[in-house]
Amino acid sequence: MDIRAQVSMVFHLDKCIGCHTCSVACKNVWTDRPGAEYMWWNNVETKPGTGYPTLWENQDHYKGGWKLTGNNNSKKLELKSQNKLDSFIKLFYNPNQPGLEDYYEPWTYKYAELFDSELGTDQPTAIPVSQVTGEPMDIEAGPNWDDDLSGSPIYAENDMNLEGLTDEEREQLFEIERISMMYLPRICNHCANPSCVASCPSGALYKRGEDGIVLINQDVCRGWRACISACPYKKIYYNWKTGKSEKCILCYPKLETGQIPNCFQSCVGRIRYLGVLLYDADRVADAMKVPDHALVESQRSVILDPFDPSIIEGAKKNGISDEFIKAAQLSPVYKYVMTWKIALPLHVEYRTMPMLFYVPPLLPVMGKYENGVYDNPVDEFFTCLEKSRLPIKYLSKLFSAGNETIIESVMKKLMAVRYYKRSIEMSDLDIVTVSRMMREGNTTPQEAEAIYRLTALPTIDERFVIPEIQREEAIENNCNPEICKGSCGLGMNQTPGRGL
Amino acid sequence: MIDTLLFVALPYLALFVGIFGSIYRIRTAPLTYSSLSSQFLENKGLMWGSLPWHIGITIILAAHIIAFLFPGLWQSIVSHQQVLYAMESIGLCLSILCLLGLLVLGLRRLTSPKLQAVTTTMDLVIILLLLLQVGLGAAIAVHCKWGSAWCSGTTTPYVWSIITFQPDVSYISEMPLLVKAHIVGAWLFILAIPFSRLIHMFAVPVEYLFRPPQNVVWTNSRKLESQDQAFVKEEARRHFLWAFSGIALGGFLLSVGTFRNVFSFFFGPRLERKVETELMETRLSRLESTVGQRKLELERQASNYILVGKLTDLNASNGKYFIDFSMQPAIAFKGKDEMPLLISAKCTHLGCTVGNKVDDKGRILCPCHVSYFDIVSGEPNAEAPAKAPLPHLGWVIMDEKGSVLARRDSKGKSQGSVSAEQRESARVYIAKNQEETT
Repeated sequence: MDIRAQVSMVFHLDKCIGCHTCSVACKNVWTDRPGAEYMWWNNVETKPGTGYPTLWENQDHYKGGWKLTGNNNSKKLELKSQNKLDSFIKLFYNPNQPGLEDYYEPWTYKYAELFDSELGTDQPTAIPVSQVTGEPMDIEAGPNWDDDLSGSPIYAENDMNLEGLTDEEREQLFEIERISMMYLPRICNHCANPSCVASCPSGALYKRGEDGIVLINQDVCRGWRACISACPYKKIYYNWKTGKSEKCILCYPKLETGQIPNCFQSCVGRIRYLGVLLYDADRVADAMKVPDHALVESQRSVILDPFDPSIIEGAKKNGISDEFIKAAQLSPVYKYVMTWKIALPLHVEYRTMPMLFYVPPLLPVMGKYENGVYDNPVDEFFTCLEKSRLPIKYLSKLFSAGNETIIESVMKKLMAVRYYKRSIEMSDLDIVTVSRMMREGNTTPQEAEAIYRLTALPTIDERFVIPEIQREEAIENNCNPEICKGSCGLGMNQTPGRGL
Repeated sequence: MIDTLLFVALPYLALFVGIFGSIYRIRTAPLTYSSLSSQFLENKGLMWGSLPWHIGITIILAAHIIAFLFPGLWQSIVSHQQVLYAMESIGLCLSILCLLGLLVLGLRRLTSPKLQAVTTTMDLVIILLLLLQVGLGAAIAVHCKWGSAWCSGTTTPYVWSIITFQPDVSYISEMPLLVKAHIVGAWLFILAIPFSRLIHMFAVPVEYLFRPPQNVVWTNSRKLESQDQAFVKEEARRHFLWAFSGIALGGFLLSVGTFRNVFSFFFGPRLERKVETELMETRLSRLESTVGQRKLELERQASNYILVGKLTDLNASNGKYFIDFSMQPAIAFKGKDEMPLLISAKCTHLGCTVGNKVDDKGRILCPCHVSYFDIVSGEPNAEAPAKAPLPHLGWVIMDEKGSVLARRDSKGKSQGSVSAEQRESARVYIAKNQEETT
């Protein structure tokens, strides 16, 4: 058993309001540079929708993640995008790499023209110019071009996850006045079985041992772009200016000093939770070799109980500090993922074992306009699963590799919590219904109360349990502090730039 | 003068700058060391440009390198006519493929506005240089045919003369202008590597074939211990890889040698009938002489006496070599008593043949490990590596008619004598069976 710690995340989608504050907080700090304008290490997508880059979930095209090969006795995980030999041909031309057109061409406006243009009869305008060429351009797409466009025949209806839905279900999803959607904020999942790391020909990508953050060493990256197609979430971006790839760094310079990453701190809906999980690195690859429907359970089995004395002992033996173990015990992520089992990994069928978990949205029916009256019938207040506005099948494609039972049990528990709290606060639900819901949701009043508290009323210290990291040690291991003193940040002595 | 400048000065400048410049750039500016792929900005054109170009040039460059590094192997391959035809036509096709790829690459650089944002002057210079270079190569393949054959007498020795620091322009000074330009282009290409995107060819990720899929890096000092272990493991692996690559290289060279022989056995040039006949005749005459030698030996062993020489031919200071019955060398001297002195010439140390000149101390020298043997006693000198004395041989003196005049056995017991008149005609023999003759 090789116990490792992983700084992992939970996004509570019921709370996401789709404001993109996280994306902007990230962009202003990390990707506001030439060559990185188009990158959104954090982005928020509308689901159903095509996402960013367009149709990133289409692995028949992008070939991201792992595939399961071999017979029943000896199953093997292989990269979908390449094997060791054809990776050499793909250095020259990678057929699975998304191009700029799959994201969007970044632009800015000639603001100066608003002031400098000559006096005329028309009001001056700021025309858009491409941030790649510097020339005026027609804007055809942008980040979140399909924002809030559920029901759109060119965006939402092309969502890969709608596959397998009956016409009736689709109709229900996109029915006027009943149309529904959800927001899906995405950052790098900092997977435990990352396919990007495995695909990198130069060995520039690595997973940090002590906190599991996946990083790209810019000194070693040679711009072969294998990681871009290998990452099924398309969370690695090619900087066309420097010729190197970049990705979300989970604001590790902030994390190391005990601060909260930008997208987490700025989250208006307070949907984000950050905490440590302990897991058994030896079992990761095997756990990802089970059939699709068992993957969620299999991933949970790899995550270890931080209260178990034998696990604590093993973790200490493996060099995990007391601070990390304490953080793992207080971790909100452990509660959501393991104790309550209501947070699920996104597209676990890519078999990368993502360490970012989502609490799927319940989307209750709040009311209905009928016969000229807007009514809010109490007995349908939280709807029922059969009338769930986002079909269970659709959610299961996103969060449980098609296993609908898992989604149903999560939904029932989320509903039970609401029934329970409604009955406590408003006393307008009869006790029989509430206890039936609690039974179906497989929860107890104590658990429901705890879920309610961490969901609705958490303090900042409960949402983000960040272990103290010995920053001095980390620095001294990378570079002599005397020498690092003159460097330009993040330990780099040179400013990145395009080669000759 | 211009030849020296272009074919001696330029190559050394190019090699020096190319090698050390690249090392310097890779070590000091790794952030600029990248393939600088532009696939992200332009996709279709890259496929039709990059793939043909890279595939074509990789094979062509590999062929050039093999031809220069293993001229023997190369020659044995191309000396077969069909192979030569195939080689030349494949080369020409690949160079055309490269040219087309380069043209596409150049055109997309010039036409796509997005690409111009990442195009430097150097990129265009490089495309132009490569177009010229590959174009020249293709032109050579057309106008100066069979380059893969004639290179072994001209450009290959020239390249070797540069590499071995004995530059010799004479190999190529008479070459056509096309070839000279191609050679200059090659040196310019090497010169441009550290100053352009060409440096990405050193980034070929061979290590990807050997590394495990996941890559975990610890920065926490608590993990230093495991890091040390990993380092030791890595070192062990590195040494293994070195050893392995050494063995592999050795095996490769061996197989290259073997392959060359096997190849030329099956596909090598066939001999003309006349030359083949001559060869067989030489072989026959050698066999005949061996047979004659054998017959002589047999005859010698069958006869009772072997002639050493005439008694008057023997000399006190300059011995006469002869071969005894056991086919070993021996030397005959004239002793102090005017009688023959026969001593074995097979050194008792390691069996070298001892010299026949007697020095002023009455010794003969075995040149192999400097043993002096006294010819009278046969004893070696004290410092000599040989410890046993050289044995003496018995002899028989007979006159012309074959009647025995005198004899001495190997122990030194003599009988009979030779008178002054008989001396002229006396001949010295060694007898087959000493006991019998005594």
